[in-house]
Amino acid sequence: MGGQKKIFLIFGLIAVLGLIVLPFFLEGYWIRVITSIFMYAIITAALNIIAGFAGYAAFGNIVFFGIGAYTTAMLMLRVGLYWWVGAIVGGVLASLYAILLGIPILRLRGHYFAIATLGINRATEQIALDWGSFTGGGKGITLPLPQMEINTFYAMIYFIMFGLLAFTVLVNYGIARSRLGYALRAIRENEGAAEASGIFAPRCKIVAWAISAFITGITGGVFAYWFSFIEPATVFDIMIAVKAFVMMMLGGAGTVLGPVLGAFLIELISETVWGKFLTIHMLILGIIMVAIVILMPRGIMEFFRKKFSLAAIWNNIKNQAV
Amino acid sequence: MSLQILLNGIFLGAIYVNIAVGFSLAWGVMDVINVAHGTMIVVGAFVTFACFKAFGLDPFLSLPISMAVLFIIGYGSQKYLLNLVVKVGIFLSLILTFGLDLVIINTLLMIFTGDYRSLTPSYSGSSFQIGSLVIPYVRLAILVICILLTALLQLFLSKTRTGNAIRATSQNRQAAQIVGVDVAKVYSITLGISAALAGACGSLISTIQSFTPFEGGFFIMKAFIICVLGGLGNVWGAIFGGLLLGVVETTGASIFGTGFQEAISAIIMILVLIFLPKGIVGSKYK
Amino acid sequence: MSLLEGRNVTRAFGALKAVDAVDFQVREGEILGLIGPNGAGKTTLVNLVTGTYPLTEGEISFKGTPITGLKPAKVSRLGIARTFQIVQPFPGMSVRENVVVGALFGKSGTGRSTKEAFREADRWIDFVHLQDYRNAAVDQINISFRKRMDLAKALAMNPEVLMLDEVMAGLNTKDIEEMITLVKRINQELRISLLVIEHVMKAVMSVCHRVTVLHHGAKIADGSPQEVVRDPRVIEAYLGERYAKARKGSET
Repeated sequence: MGGQKKIFLIFGLIAVLGLIVLPFFLEGYWIRVITSIFMYAIITAALNIIAGFAGYAAFGNIVFFGIGAYTTAMLMLRVGLYWWVGAIVGGVLASLYAILLGIPILRLRGHYFAIATLGINRATEQIALDWGSFTGGGKGITLPLPQMEINTFYAMIYFIMFGLLAFTVLVNYGIARSRLGYALRAIRENEGAAEASGIFAPRCKIVAWAISAFITGITGGVFAYWFSFIEPATVFDIMIAVKAFVMMMLGGAGTVLGPVLGAFLIELISETVWGKFLTIHMLILGIIMVAIVILMPRGIMEFFRKKFSLAAIWNNIKNQAV
Repeated sequence: MSLQILLNGIFLGAIYVNIAVGFSLAWGVMDVINVAHGTMIVVGAFVTFACFKAFGLDPFLSLPISMAVLFIIGYGSQKYLLNLVVKVGIFLSLILTFGLDLVIINTLLMIFTGDYRSLTPSYSGSSFQIGSLVIPYVRLAILVICILLTALLQLFLSKTRTGNAIRATSQNRQAAQIVGVDVAKVYSITLGISAALAGACGSLISTIQSFTPFEGGFFIMKAFIICVLGGLGNVWGAIFGGLLLGVVETTGASIFGTGFQEAISAIIMILVLIFLPKGIVGSKYK
Repeated sequence: MSLLEGRNVTRAFGALKAVDAVDFQVREGEILGLIGPNGAGKTTLVNLVTGTYPLTEGEISFKGTPITGLKPAKVSRLGIARTFQIVQPFPGMSVRENVVVGALFGKSGTGRSTKEAFREADRWIDFVHLQDYRNAAVDQINISFRKRMDLAKALAMNPEVLMLDEVMAGLNTKDIEEMITLVKRINQELRISLLVIEHVMKAVMSVCHRVTVLHHGAKIADGSPQEVVRDPRVIEAYLGERYAKARKGSET
């Protein structure tokens, strides 16, 4: 194993161990902050499967989060199921949604697909809003608070999210090395040539989206349990989707660790520096998005592989400009 | 369906046409999906609002001002930002305009705060009647101006040199370059015009509804749906799509109530995307 | 025995016929040349075989079974591979990764582990003499190497029929010689039957067992390379009526 890889692995291990022991040293607020970072990382890593590997920009991927959240909440409230059963069912429903919609929608070209997913998210959000009798409408769904000491509860959620994140990273890793991974990358790079090579593109894309939806759905379920309250505006919030996209791009779309790194970077910066000033926070996020697109569209991971210098970036820009 | 509802649909449709024409221009010519278009409309509304509050300027008279302001914003954004990534892919432009959208929304938030704003010029609620049809003055004025702007745009694109350059570039960028068209400039002008149209739209809308810096999302959704319905880069498509959507929405609202309206529009868009990927009218003239 | 056969193959856009009632066959073990002036419909014919375009009329069959209407991925998995006139690589990936896609998803791909597939890919990279560029980024190698990579990818799919679309285009003399040798090896050593679209006449003459000529979408001649090259209709198609007449005049 190369020297650089070894260093990487050691740092990674330290980071993981650190994260595991953190809850015992931190107070409530920071535990919740880091849990939230984990959640963003999961959503971003799940998005990476369809948008990073396959190259299909599912801008509206957050819809699966909402479906998972609502399924879990309703099953907990109306049927009395355990939260984790609800979350798993939520994940399954979300992937069924992805499969059903994916059959027609994944045939669309790049930007049309992106817009269609936005439309799907919006339509689903509207249905959740308007079907008040079933979903509680704009008032959302309030769940009974969990019966345990509050700090223990938050620590538990911390570990659940951490576990989910680890799972998602493993899934990404597994896909990257598998046949599916090569198929998806081929599809992303040149779908026509991929099909000529014997890849059944529609099937592969749908599988990728279903996996992405499943993970995102479960995360929505955990979120519902965590906050004990969900409403359409929060769980179908397009801003989460956009942030996830930026995080994925910043870290490196299509890599295994990139999306997680990107999520950590952006959320940490957001929380520690601008948490108080919502307006500036959004403004800076916007500027970051613009900067990433222009300066390093392939993300940070690219810099670990190639040399980077300001001159190289400038050259790149000159070549790209109209 | 009563005539009044049809008329209301046309009034609404006129605004939608205006939204779509500007949006579709950028998309059709440069493959730039300007997600910030909706917020640019809002900027227009705020410019008009500011003029009204500060100088008592009639909203319709502030049209040239908002159009000028937005032209500069659009031209600048294209020249210094978008032109750098346009060649790389439609997707990166999309993300960039998302970022731009955030920046603009938050600048507006900082200047104007998130409160709902509205304008009430003296003639606000008045209308006249033809038979049993009620025709609000403001709506009529909006309809007329929208027609005028669309016609002017069409004339500009077909009769002027710059307009022809824009059309040529939209069909084949490299060919246009070879013939000597300054593509970068054409692109900048195109987004400038697109933004100016958004500005005009915003000024007009400010007279009929209240707004906050976040209103853009609503408009951009309409723009997408209309472009999908009417096909891209196509002024006639935008007209058709806009009017169709306006009439469908007012009819739907009169039957079902405003409840599921948005969901229905979004679903229509998805269905059209699936079954008629080129829109109802036809493909881009690319 | 005919391996790949097309009967009355037609692709029409309204009144315009890109391919007009063409009958063709690639017999087992042979190299069939497909020639004709630009726009004659050669690439379209290949696209019809692979299922990229649908047929307006006619049938195509492979080893006796009809394959008309099958999707490209399916056709590839049956054992028909092709290269593209303008090479279609996977831009973000290395040469090795490009070829491995063929090994993973071609005829023998199912059930192969990625490890095995990479071994297979390496074998074909060696076969086309591209070992020095194994890990190079595909967008940084020159056209001759890219063509060979495309070839390796197609071979990694373990095809029985390989269709080459102007594989010599853009190559210099030395590269053409090497490519000709490769094609012969593919046919003789690997026992793969080929359909070769070519403009480079030297290649056609030295490599093909039989040649089919298309013009304006229709077949105008069929036979050995020597026969076809002397066929007056072929001469007329390539060089025009006046030349054909003049030539005829000088021969009498």
